[in-house]
Amino acid sequence: MSLTLNNVSKRFGGVVASDSVNITVPKGKITGLIGPNGAGKTTIVNMITGMLAVSDGQITVGDRDITHSFADEICRAGLARTFQNIRILPDNSVLENILIGFHRHEECSTLAAMLGLPAARRESGKIREMAIAMLRRFGMSALADFPAGGLSYGHQRKLEMMRALASEPEFMLLDEPVAGMNDVESDSLAELFRELASTGMGVLLIEHNIRFVSKLCEHVYVLDGGRLIAEGAPGVVLRDPEVMAAYIGGEHA
Amino acid sequence: MTNVLLGYQPLFDLFLLHLGMAYSQWLVLRAGVFSLATVGLAAVGAYTGGILVVTLGFPAPVALLAAALAGGIVALGLSVPLARLRGVYQAIATVAFIQIVLSLNIYAAGLTGGPQGLNGIPKTVGTLTLLIAGILTVYLMYAIMSSRLGRAFDAIRQNEAVAASLGVSIVRHQTLAFVISGALAGTYGALEAFHSYALAPSQFAFPFLIAVLSYVVLGGRNTIIGPIIGTAILLILPEIARPLAEARMLVYGLLLILVINYLPRGIADTLIERARARRLSARLAKSDTAPTTAARS
Repeated sequence: MSLTLNNVSKRFGGVVASDSVNITVPKGKITGLIGPNGAGKTTIVNMITGMLAVSDGQITVGDRDITHSFADEICRAGLARTFQNIRILPDNSVLENILIGFHRHEECSTLAAMLGLPAARRESGKIREMAIAMLRRFGMSALADFPAGGLSYGHQRKLEMMRALASEPEFMLLDEPVAGMNDVESDSLAELFRELASTGMGVLLIEHNIRFVSKLCEHVYVLDGGRLIAEGAPGVVLRDPEVMAAYIGGEHA
Repeated sequence: MTNVLLGYQPLFDLFLLHLGMAYSQWLVLRAGVFSLATVGLAAVGAYTGGILVVTLGFPAPVALLAAALAGGIVALGLSVPLARLRGVYQAIATVAFIQIVLSLNIYAAGLTGGPQGLNGIPKTVGTLTLLIAGILTVYLMYAIMSSRLGRAFDAIRQNEAVAASLGVSIVRHQTLAFVISGALAGTYGALEAFHSYALAPSQFAFPFLIAVLSYVVLGGRNTIIGPIIGTAILLILPEIARPLAEARMLVYGLLLILVINYLPRGIADTLIERARARRLSARLAKSDTAPTTAARS
C-alpha cells in the first residue's frame, strides 16, 4: 500500500502550479520532496489533503481514490499533515490541542456525546490519558494546561506534530517541519521521523533544507516551477546539473 | 425577607427564560457559526406552542415538544443555505430570516393573530418548570462541550482547515450545533408563551436579538458560565438603578461598547483566563525554584 500521485496538475487560471506530477510514498519509508521557494511543494500537500481542488490527474491511497474527497474524509482514509505556517488552536490548552487529534478514532454515538452518557465520558477519559502519554513522550507534560497560543515556536511545531500523530495516520505529510529550528532540535525530530517510518508509517517530508533531507530519505523528488525535475537517491539527485541549476542558479552550475 | 424574594420572582423567571435563549446563541457561536437566528427560531417555537394549545387544544407538554421539534426542523432547513456562507454573511442571512418570521407572524393573521398577537394562552409554566429547564440546559451544554462534539466545535471555530485536516466534518458539526440551538430556542420560545398568557410578533424582533447577543458577548463566549453572568448582569442592572430601566437599550449598547473594548472576551471568560494564568505562573515559579532548593540541600 502506498500514497500515489498520478499525473497530478494544478492550474490557477493560466498559472500552472503543478504540472503532471508523479510521486509515490511507500509505507515504512521517508520520502523527500524538495525544491526552491515557490516550486509548488505546499501546493502538492494541499492537493493531497483535499485543501485545494485537483485540476487533473489522480491521487490514491492503496486502491482508494481520494482525488476529489473532502479534507475530513482524507484524514479518515489515514492521512495526516502538519502546516508550514504553524496552525495551532490558540484559545485551547496544549492538552486540548492534542485531544482534537484523536477525533478520527472517537466513536461514541452523537446522542451519547450530547447527553454526556457514560460511554461518552469513558471515551473522553481514555483519549485524555492517551494525550497525556503523548505529551510525556515529547517531553512536554509540564506544559499540558498552558494556553497553546503562548508556546515558543519550537514547542508549537512539536505540538502540531503530536496532534497529527494522535490521528494515528498511515501516511504523514510534514510541510517544512524543522524550519526555524536549531540543529539539536532538528536532530531530535529526525530521530522521531525515523522512528515513525520504522513502525510502518509512510512519511512525505517537504523541505528545502537539502542536508536534512539527504540525511533521512532514501528517495527524493525535486520540484521546480511545478514540475518534477529529478528523482532518486539523494546522493545522485543532488549532483544532477538541473537540480543544481534550480538551487544555485543556471550560470553558476 | 420572603416578600422581598417574592418581589423578585418575575425577574428570576425572566432571567431563566432569557438564559435559555442566550445558550441557544452561545452554542452556535461556539461552533463557529455566526448566526443570529435564535430570536427567529424562538418565535417559531413560541407560535407553534401557542397555536397548538390555544387553537388546537393540545396539552402544554405535547406542544412544548412540538415547539422544540419545530425550532430544530426550521434550523435544519436554514442550515442548508447557511453552510455556504461564512462570517458576516451568515449574520446578514439570519437577520433576514428573523425579518421573514416577523412578517409571517404579522401577516398570517388567521393563524397567528396578526399584529394583535396570540392571546389567552393558559399559564402552565411557573418558576419551578423554568428552573428545571435551566438546570437541564446547563447540563446539556456542559455534556456537549466536554464530549467529542465540543472539541470539534472548538476546533472548527478557531481554524476550519485544521479541523478538517484532523477528520472533523465541518458541515455535519455546524449543522448539528445549529439544530440543537434551534431546538433550544424553540423550547424557550414555547416556555415564554406558556409563561406569559400572550404573544406579540414584535417581542421577537431586533431589540430582543440585541439583548440575547449582548448576554453572550458581555458574559463570555467560550465558558459555560458566560451566558449566566451576562444575562444576570444585563437583567439585574436596570432593576438596581431604576432610572436606567427606561433606557435599557441605551445601557446595553454602552455596556457592549465598553466590554468589547476593554474585555473583548467577555467578563466571565476574561476573569477565568486571568485566574488560570495566575495559577499556571505560580506553578511554573514553584517548579523553577524546586531544583535550586534540591541542589542546596
